[in-house]
Amino acid sequence: MTRVVVTRGAWAALTLLGAVGFSFALVVWAPGDPIDLLPNADAVRPTLEARWRLDQSPLQRMASWWRLLLAGDLGTSLSYRPGAPVWEVIRQPVVATGLRVLAALAVAITTGSVLALRTGGQRRSRTRLLVQLASLAPLFLLAHGAVAVLNEGAFALMQAGWMGRPGWFALPDQASLLRSSLAIGLLAVGSSSLHEVHAEIEHAVAHLQESPFVDAARARGEATWPLLLRHLLPTACSVAASRVGWLLGGSVVVEKLLLLPGAGAVLWNAALLRDYEVVLGLTLVAATAVVVARLLADLARVWLDPRLRASA
Amino acid sequence: MIRWAHHALRGLRAHDSLLGRLGLAWLLLLVVVALCAPLAGYPVGADVDLSQASQGMSGRHPLGTDHLGRDTFARLALACRAFTGPGLLAGLVALTAVPTGALAGMHGGWVAHLTRYVAGVVASVPRFVLVLLLLTIYGNTPTVLGLAIGLAYVPELAEAVRARVEGLRVADFVLASRAHGVPEGRLLWLHLVLGATNQLVARHLIRVFAFTVVVESTLAYLGGFGVQEPQPSWGNLLVFEWGRGLGPQVIAPAAALLITLAACAAAAGFVGGRRHAG
Repeated sequence: MTRVVVTRGAWAALTLLGAVGFSFALVVWAPGDPIDLLPNADAVRPTLEARWRLDQSPLQRMASWWRLLLAGDLGTSLSYRPGAPVWEVIRQPVVATGLRVLAALAVAITTGSVLALRTGGQRRSRTRLLVQLASLAPLFLLAHGAVAVLNEGAFALMQAGWMGRPGWFALPDQASLLRSSLAIGLLAVGSSSLHEVHAEIEHAVAHLQESPFVDAARARGEATWPLLLRHLLPTACSVAASRVGWLLGGSVVVEKLLLLPGAGAVLWNAALLRDYEVVLGLTLVAATAVVVARLLADLARVWLDPRLRASA
Repeated sequence: MIRWAHHALRGLRAHDSLLGRLGLAWLLLLVVVALCAPLAGYPVGADVDLSQASQGMSGRHPLGTDHLGRDTFARLALACRAFTGPGLLAGLVALTAVPTGALAGMHGGWVAHLTRYVAGVVASVPRFVLVLLLLTIYGNTPTVLGLAIGLAYVPELAEAVRARVEGLRVADFVLASRAHGVPEGRLLWLHLVLGATNQLVARHLIRVFAFTVVVESTLAYLGGFGVQEPQPSWGNLLVFEWGRGLGPQVIAPAAALLITLAACAAAAGFVGGRRHAG
């Protein structure tokens, strides 16, 4: 087991280093910079280039980035929040988005498993078709529909006198609980997340239903679901890990649409301002999340499956 | 060339499914519409007519007009250009994964390790984030969008092709071909790439197209990136009429989007066949 942890961990670290190098290279050789977007670009260019170190050669910039990164520093924001350390800018949004993504994963896995166990792994069931249809719509369309239904529904309730009208000065608060839960639900269903999770788990259930030990349990008259649940864990782990990237991409859309504070919204706004430092910082965090999720799922599989443990 | 085409297309038509055929037909129709719509000469950007604002369906405006009096039907058709170009370009870029994956699968060893490593590196950046990063850096143009989406899909396709070719490396028909003295390159290209991975590749290309449709309309919906007003996109058609009730102006782009994505799913199932699901 130790050897597995070491080799897989080393592979994950190498992948992460590659991802960092890849994104640095993309940014360093970029044809434009944030100064281009300023109205008085020509006048402020010399000052800002010196302050933001854009006048250095690509290799020098890459070297200084690596130095900073190894010291645990993600750099300084250029135009999104000038002068602020990137880590300060993204810390809270990253935590908010991380929690939301985890909650969405939990919802998707639970719903997918319950549905798959209910249909008992039959392929082409009606549930499967329904799930596929629900997961087909792009996230923004789902969100658009959900918000429209909520708005029109609330308005209809007010017209009917079942719900009080909000006061004149009821300004929208920070992230309300309703919007956060809406975001979690949308992430869990949207961009085919629920469909993929359900399909994978259903496949695993179908496979398990035919295996001899489940047959034996059935013959002994025992309930098969504890057995199924236990053997579904490795599949659930790997399918959860494979969805992390999708959910992080989806949270950009959902946060932007529902005006929730989070890493996705910061990423979008910083990208519009070409604040490469913030965008790079968030890309690194996202890549780390994906790589770590994959590593954890891998290790969990090995730990849960005695056959893999023996061969490792 | 003809023999290559025969190899590549064999098996793609074997699976009969009405839905799949309809899906493929719808995708072809979109490409035709994207090519032909500009020929109608609809004046994009010079079509504001406030006297015609927010009209319902009529003979003159089959899907009504938006609140600036612009014809929804014409803009809906013109919006097909926004994703067909980038979608096809993304497909072409993604195709570069096929020879890479095939070589890695055939030779194994360090080639396979390197391919897996590079694929893992690119795949560790979430796809939508990678597309956003590339659009930020290289400019918000349809070409960059297509290239970015293609690049974001290369790892997945390369990995899928590698796995398939590796699985077939010691298959009976490959061993038999080798024993008959079929040259290695011909074996790899004709039998393994064109013959055995064609369904897999076709299915992935349709997925790339579907992803382009989603990303393009999402970017235009959120604004800032993607197609900008007055150029139409299904995303910005939808957001432009936001909060103005559920007229054909809103339902038509939403329905077009859903039908296209459903068509992609059906077509992917159709060309993918059922025996090689996964």
